[in-house]
Amino acid sequence: MIPAQFDYQAPATLEEAVSLLASDLDGAKILAGGHSLIPAMKLRLAQPQLLVDIGRIKSLAYIREEGDEILIGATTTHYQLESSDLLQRICPLLPDCAKSIGDVQVRNKGTIGGSLAHADPAADWPAAVLALGAELVLVGPKAERTVKAEDFFVDLFTTDLQPGEILREIRIKKPSGRFGQSYQKAPHPASGFAVVGIAVHLGLNDDGSCKAAAIGVTGVDVKAYRAKGVEAALSGTTIDDDAIAQASLHVCDGVDPNSDLYASSEYRGQLARVHMRRAIQAAKAKAQ
Amino acid sequence: MKLEGIHQLDAPRERVYQCLVDPEVLQRCIPGCERLEKTGDNTFAATIRAGVGSIKGVFNGTARLEDLREPEHLRIVVDSKGAPGFLKGSGDLDLEHAENGTKVNYSGDVQVGGTIASVGQRMIQGTAKMMATQFFTSLNAEAGTQAGEPPPQHGFFRTALRWFSGWLRNIFRKH
Amino acid sequence: MTNNYVGKRVKRTEDPRLIRGLAHYVDDVALPGTLHVTFVRSIYAHAKITGIDTSAALSTPGVVAVYTGQDVAGKIGPVPCASALPELKVPDHRVLATDKVYFVGHPIAAIVATDRYAARDAVDLVMVDYEELPVVTDVEQAANGGPVIHEAFGDNIAYKLTSGEGDIDAAFTAADRTVKQRILHNRLAPIAMEPRGVLARYFPGEEELTIWSSTQIPHLMRTQVALMIGIPENKLRVITPEVGGGFGSKLNVYSEEALLGWIAMQLGKPVKWIETRRENMQATIHGRGQVGDIEVGFKNDGTLTGLRYSVFADLGAYHQLLTPAIPTLTGLMLSGAYKIPAIQMNITGCFTNKMATDAYRGAGRPEATYVVERALDLVAAELGVDPAEVRRKNFPSPDEFPFHTATGLDYDSGDYETALNKAQEIIGYAQLREEQKKARDEGRLIGIGVSTYVEICALGPSQAMPAGGWESATVRIEPTGKVTVLTGASPHGQGQETSFAQIVADELGVNINDVTVIHGDTGVVQYGIGTFGSRATAVGGTAVFVAVQKLKEKAQKIAAHMLKADASHILFEGGKYSLQAAAAASATGVSEPVVPVGQAPAGALPEPETDGKSNLTIQDIALAAHLAKDLPPDTEPGLSATYFFEPKNFTFPFGTHIAVVEVDHETGDIKFLRYVAVDDCGRVINPMLVDGQVHGGIVQSIGQAMYEEVVYDEQGQLVTGTLMDYAVPRAKHIPNFELDRTETPSPVNPLGVKGVGEAGTIGATPAIVGAIVDALAPFGVRHLDMPVKPENVWRIINGN
Repeated sequence: MIPAQFDYQAPATLEEAVSLLASDLDGAKILAGGHSLIPAMKLRLAQPQLLVDIGRIKSLAYIREEGDEILIGATTTHYQLESSDLLQRICPLLPDCAKSIGDVQVRNKGTIGGSLAHADPAADWPAAVLALGAELVLVGPKAERTVKAEDFFVDLFTTDLQPGEILREIRIKKPSGRFGQSYQKAPHPASGFAVVGIAVHLGLNDDGSCKAAAIGVTGVDVKAYRAKGVEAALSGTTIDDDAIAQASLHVCDGVDPNSDLYASSEYRGQLARVHMRRAIQAAKAKAQ
Repeated sequence: MKLEGIHQLDAPRERVYQCLVDPEVLQRCIPGCERLEKTGDNTFAATIRAGVGSIKGVFNGTARLEDLREPEHLRIVVDSKGAPGFLKGSGDLDLEHAENGTKVNYSGDVQVGGTIASVGQRMIQGTAKMMATQFFTSLNAEAGTQAGEPPPQHGFFRTALRWFSGWLRNIFRKH
Repeated sequence: MTNNYVGKRVKRTEDPRLIRGLAHYVDDVALPGTLHVTFVRSIYAHAKITGIDTSAALSTPGVVAVYTGQDVAGKIGPVPCASALPELKVPDHRVLATDKVYFVGHPIAAIVATDRYAARDAVDLVMVDYEELPVVTDVEQAANGGPVIHEAFGDNIAYKLTSGEGDIDAAFTAADRTVKQRILHNRLAPIAMEPRGVLARYFPGEEELTIWSSTQIPHLMRTQVALMIGIPENKLRVITPEVGGGFGSKLNVYSEEALLGWIAMQLGKPVKWIETRRENMQATIHGRGQVGDIEVGFKNDGTLTGLRYSVFADLGAYHQLLTPAIPTLTGLMLSGAYKIPAIQMNITGCFTNKMATDAYRGAGRPEATYVVERALDLVAAELGVDPAEVRRKNFPSPDEFPFHTATGLDYDSGDYETALNKAQEIIGYAQLREEQKKARDEGRLIGIGVSTYVEICALGPSQAMPAGGWESATVRIEPTGKVTVLTGASPHGQGQETSFAQIVADELGVNINDVTVIHGDTGVVQYGIGTFGSRATAVGGTAVFVAVQKLKEKAQKIAAHMLKADASHILFEGGKYSLQAAAAASATGVSEPVVPVGQAPAGALPEPETDGKSNLTIQDIALAAHLAKDLPPDTEPGLSATYFFEPKNFTFPFGTHIAVVEVDHETGDIKFLRYVAVDDCGRVINPMLVDGQVHGGIVQSIGQAMYEEVVYDEQGQLVTGTLMDYAVPRAKHIPNFELDRTETPSPVNPLGVKGVGEAGTIGATPAIVGAIVDALAPFGVRHLDMPVKPENVWRIINGN
């Protein structure tokens, strides 16, 4: 519970942060809300040499509309997302997901960018950004690049972020037309992390049938993933109870669900199917 | 904790087997393996920097190959210790002929102790899965070359870059 | 006395400083030059230590000293066990491991450094060579030929004990039917919000050692630590500043307390150790940890004839202060709230490669209540009758008290049926059962659980206690009229600074703000036993109450003298002494003039203005007693009284808890629909404190019933090592509690109080599990082991 020695820098700009990070590619870590990194440091499981605190760069925390996109700065806290009237109006999945994270203290400090970059297999945000088809803007010493959420999560705690890169912004196409969204979660009673978390964005045709579904799943595999099998099965249907139930069965296609002390692989699979069905139903209800 | 899985490799069984008993190849394939020195017949001393994301630990220990039945079976027995705790276990690898290559079945029993056991309960299985996948992916690349050929450069540059920056840092810290 | 405070919802005087973060815990006590201690702890559950190399740690900058088991051997005595059971095997429990480690977290070396960071850095540099030994974590395996932990004993059985009264064989012969069930009591971690902490300072000149410790028992610790490290007891002062909860986990004397005191004496500098949460999970006692078989015999009409319980108690690797005694408390309470002619309990206490179990809120009684209440549910299921009715059938009636049980106790007072009726009325029991039927027909899984518990409090008569069961109090009135109460009880969250002040303020007729309750400092407070076993108010509060009476007797004499009347004519009312009307008329009305003694110097106390007064406040009298210029003959100056109260019996609170839950048949999730608790803890001093105790108790019951479980794997690794894995219930897991009370005073003490610190933890668990089992009754379920996790429920519903 007492971390090893480390250096600490609080740059005023993102450019400065990038160059600090480049000064020690192996030993430097970005600190945002600190709610994943600091516990690991206190256990000495993580022993970075240098913490580059981007949490004090004010210009990195924002939620705004630009053209047909929603732009979210990396250090925007869970609470800011939870309480955003704008998001509540145009993309309620984000506040819905935010309010399920941890507790008040965690939501006040923890950031969306930190959570995505940490890529905890049971974190909530990865499911939401997958369901929203988000793009992540990564800035490195030489250039900036954009990665699709789907390509961002590589493995357990492993993302496409290259050494020296910082996640700067999350970009989401403003949902349009008739749509409904929902985040359903089975939280672990101790950690609050998702034993299973399902984020659903459901686009509907005028006749109420499913135009397109985009679904992110967290907690089930070593990384968050798109439930393509469910999406495909749902597409074009009238989204009646039967279609939903049938589609939901595909949530673990190609995945061997995680197993731990709280939930076996078999039970986690069951939770995934049930919460998938409930999430689709809730999303549909909101689209009416 | 029990671990098991199946990996499909492209190379023939004999070649896969050769790779599995070659310490140089193993060092390149074991994720985070910084040192693998032969200390006797089929025994090795190893240093592994293992971990996921920002969570890392250095483990020092021994590895032993047992029950060698070329080209179908071997057992690896590992016993290591580090600041985050200890890690030990054994795994049986069974190599089968398969269409276009080799099917490797592995099953093992891993025990972890110390900090990682008491705080990483929900991660251990996933970490093991990930490391196994990384190992077999690298092994597949290695087995795709012929003995004596230069090794494939899976992740080589990144490793080298990190090593270099670490080395620089150490130099600066000393002064 | 007045009735301004007792029985009222007086706000806790402790809270403003706690809420505002102004209170001082051990870690807030800062002494200049303090060194910091960390511990090297075993990462193996069972191993030989073949070598310890401390050289690298010692050469780390900032490290002052490193002590191993060898360094302290022969210098610090063993960690004490106060339980005296026949033929109990007591392992030599050194403060640091010497040749072997027995559990994960076992302290091996203490590192002293100039700051916590340097000390922690050095932990990784102490090289310990281990030779692993076979591990035993399962208590039954430990009892039956598993690897032996303490070789000298030959096996892992620490003791066997049979208790109970009545002809048990005859009882089962007389039974029409029997039910049997294997029941598990999950091992729990107490998780006080403030972990343990110790600060020790030694003055070599004065030869005085002061230890600040987060403990429930400052005086007992002083005695034990003095013995362990060989300092005269009166040269050791133990101070417990604010204590952030104990739940029994700080009713102990641990290695760290003695070691820190000893190190302070070696180095002549203050040393501090603040437990980390991981250490708290590993090396602070756990609770429960029993597995047993209950068997109950009964007649076809539901009358109980006998009860047998054979239990394996998982003691862990060593005995802490009360480890072996806890299961014996289970044996005492096996009669529950029922007339059971014959009871037998067989305990097999076993060593395992785990941290010791000891007192955790309820301490042995929750186990008893749980098995008895679960058994009553099984009887009801077997007979096809309502579980409430089986209970009602076997209650002793109020006129049967004192009620003697076949476990050898005499229950002081009780009216169990009234509490049951009240709870049933509040929840609308009959209608609820109807609704349940309807819901079942609709495919909903609703369950109702009833627990009619009785527990044992006010621990206890000294005959029954390892180190005295009395409690002490001093009440004195300072010259300025402020009232100081010194209590030997050592409250740590219960709110006795408020409730004791309520008692005293009413008895003396003073404002509660004029009363200060001091506790937890052996340098200030007379010897006391401490706060545990729901004893502080019943025993400590009674000591306060009697001390006040003694003080008032003296005040009465002085008042009579000052009012020039016979003491028997003096009336004390509303905080004032006055002549009774009849006596007033016959009094001379002439008083001697007060002789002026010159100008009082600045800062001198004002003279009491009693001249010509027909009544005097107790504070007037206190000042007169302090100035002592005109006291009755043979009267000691000052106004102070001390009393040590020895209770004649325990007290036996009781009540009824009813839980209503609904189970999600797809996920196995359990949701509370209602929770009603009617508790009877005798007379209530402060209803708000009682409600708070009941709330907290039920929450911890919910924890045991549904979430909490200390899990060691087969290798003895603690896999629930953090609060990310060990699930303490959060606000969102807790339903709204509908609380009510009945009030049956205890005849054991003059206050009539019984105690309520543990009732919630004791009474609630069976109601919750009973409700879940009832919800799953359509699947043929009659019992489920705790914690009842959603996956288990889902598996039952889905038949796998």
